[in-house]
Amino acid sequence: MNSRPAPEWLTTTVSAVRELMIKRLEAESLDAESKREMEMALEELDVMWEELQGQAALLMRENERYAEFFQYAPDAYVITDAGGNIREANEAALELLKATRDSVVGRPLSEYIAADDRVAFLTRSVGLMPGGTVKPFAWRAQLQPREGAALAAEFSVRAIPLKKSGVGGLCWLVRPAL
Amino acid sequence: MTVELEELKAMWLDLRAHVDQLAGERQQYYDFFEQASEAYVVTDEYGTIADANGAAVDILQRRKRYLRGKPLAALVALERRAEFRQRLGALRGREPAAERPWRTLFVAPHLRIDVKLAARLIERPGGVGGICWRLEALS
Repeated sequence: MNSRPAPEWLTTTVSAVRELMIKRLEAESLDAESKREMEMALEELDVMWEELQGQAALLMRENERYAEFFQYAPDAYVITDAGGNIREANEAALELLKATRDSVVGRPLSEYIAADDRVAFLTRSVGLMPGGTVKPFAWRAQLQPREGAALAAEFSVRAIPLKKSGVGGLCWLVRPAL
Repeated sequence: MTVELEELKAMWLDLRAHVDQLAGERQQYYDFFEQASEAYVVTDEYGTIADANGAAVDILQRRKRYLRGKPLAALVALERRAEFRQRLGALRGREPAAERPWRTLFVAPHLRIDVKLAARLIERPGGVGGICWRLEALS
């Protein structure tokens, strides 16, 4: 068994249990046929384990790759949950909002909409149904960064599955209006 | 032996759950990239294409398989390549305003496409991890 991507404790425990089984296998007075069957079962387990670890490694690499594409996209993107709270914001979004990641994550996106436009923004947001039923659409509103003056921005939104839960979230593209 | 087998089974289920969780996490970013209405191409720092999303494939009119491993410069019209390379160098050199959008011409089979190009460096702890480009077709 190799120990590529799975959490270390998992790999360590499985190796320990496996070794224990081999010792027992050697010690117990099994007939030759039973012993061979057990050995084959262990072999099979090894192969399946490696396969699953390979899958985990591939997913981790892909996850990191696509996460980088999100973080460093040239456009400002914010991902919110169904309640409109920010789950993630990429680098361009943090620059636009003039805020740190820690200060935006968990906060409602509406906090960054100028007071005059907030009610309209919330009204439109409430109508969005996360979970794949959102048809991409766009509208304009005044964006209020953490510091400085408000600016006209175009918001485009589409549905996206949220990581971990997999439930529907919203992916917002925010662009300063020209 | 049954106890050990049970334990192995539990470990197996844990790994399976770990893989499922990774798959879920991957889906969010994968969907973000692939389903984006904006066209994105990701290259290494020297401009070799690593990936392109569906919208970019539509603009460039080339298959993903064709695009991967090609220099992005090779898709730029001949007369605009020097400018493209100069911009690429400015990006790599982190020159001020290098990430500002500019217009250029891409070539697709039987077609020239007027494109607004914007770029951002992908930062990694050890340095530049690549460049994410946004292509906006103007023609």
